[in-house]
Amino acid sequence: MPSCISCSKRIAPGEKTVKFPCPSCGTVTIWRCERCRLFGRTYTCPGCGFKGP
Amino acid sequence: MDTQQSDTLLLPQEVLLSAGVHIGTRVKTKDMIPFIYKVRPDGLFVLDMDKMNERVKVAAKFISRMDISRVAVASSKRYGRLPVHKFCEVTGAHPLVARFTSGTFTNPTYSHYFEPVAVIVTDALADQQIVVEATAVGVPVIALCSTDNNLSNVDLIIPINNKGRRSLAIAYWLLARQLKRELKELTPEQEFSVSIDDFESTM
Ligand SMILES: [Zn+2]
Ligand SMILES: [Zn+2]
Repeated sequence: MPSCISCSKRIAPGEKTVKFPCPSCGTVTIWRCERCRLFGRTYTCPGCGFKGP
Repeated sequence: MDTQQSDTLLLPQEVLLSAGVHIGTRVKTKDMIPFIYKVRPDGLFVLDMDKMNERVKVAAKFISRMDISRVAVASSKRYGRLPVHKFCEVTGAHPLVARFTSGTFTNPTYSHYFEPVAVIVTDALADQQIVVEATAVGVPVIALCSTDNNLSNVDLIIPINNKGRRSLAIAYWLLARQLKRELKELTPEQEFSVSIDDFESTM
C-alpha cells in the first residue's frame, strides 16, 4: 500500500485520497492522505525537493 | 515601494505591478505566510512575485503532462469568467463558468457529467463546491490563491491576486503562454498570438 508523503501513514483502501506526479519533476508519485490534504499540510518531493501545496 | 529584486519574471515588473498581481488583502492566513512578501503601511499584505512566477512555471509543467481536454477550469467569480473562457479556448481545457451543479464530477448519469483529470480554480473559497467534488473523485486541485485563502484540499497553489480584473487576465494569460511553451508550441522568444487584453473581462 502507498503511504502519505506528509505523515507517512498508509493510505487505507477507499480513503478519499489523491495521487499525482510531482508538479515540478513529474517523476515521483505524490500520495496525500485525506487528513493531510484537508488540513493543507505541506509535502516535499523526495526526488526534486519541490515543496507543495 | 512594492518592488522586489528579480530578473527572471515572466513579464516585466512594471506590467505586473501596474496590474496589481501582487496585491493581496488585509487578511493573511497561516497557510499563505510562505507566499507573503510583506505588509504595506496601509495594512495590505503583498504577495511574493518570485514565488508567483515560479508557481506559474510549475503549474504549467504539471498541466503539460495531462490530457488538457480533461482539465476543468473554474471561476464562480465574475471577473474570472472571461479569463477562464479565453484560457480554455486557447489551450483546449474545459471551462466551468456557469453555476456549478453538484454531481458534475460525481454523477455519471447527469447530462453535463465531466470526468476531470485535474481542476484549476480561481478561488478555492468561491469555487468550494468544485473543490469538494474534485476531492471526492480524487483529482488534483490547482488554485489561484491570495493572502486570505486557505489551502484545504488544494494540491498546488499559484499565489496571485485572484480578485482584480486585470490581475486575473494576467494570471490566465501567463499560465496559457507558459503551457504553450512547455508543450513546445511556442518558443520563449516567440510572441504569444493573444494579448492580455483579450483575457480581460470588460464587465
Ligand atoms: Zn497524511
Ligand atoms: Zn519532484
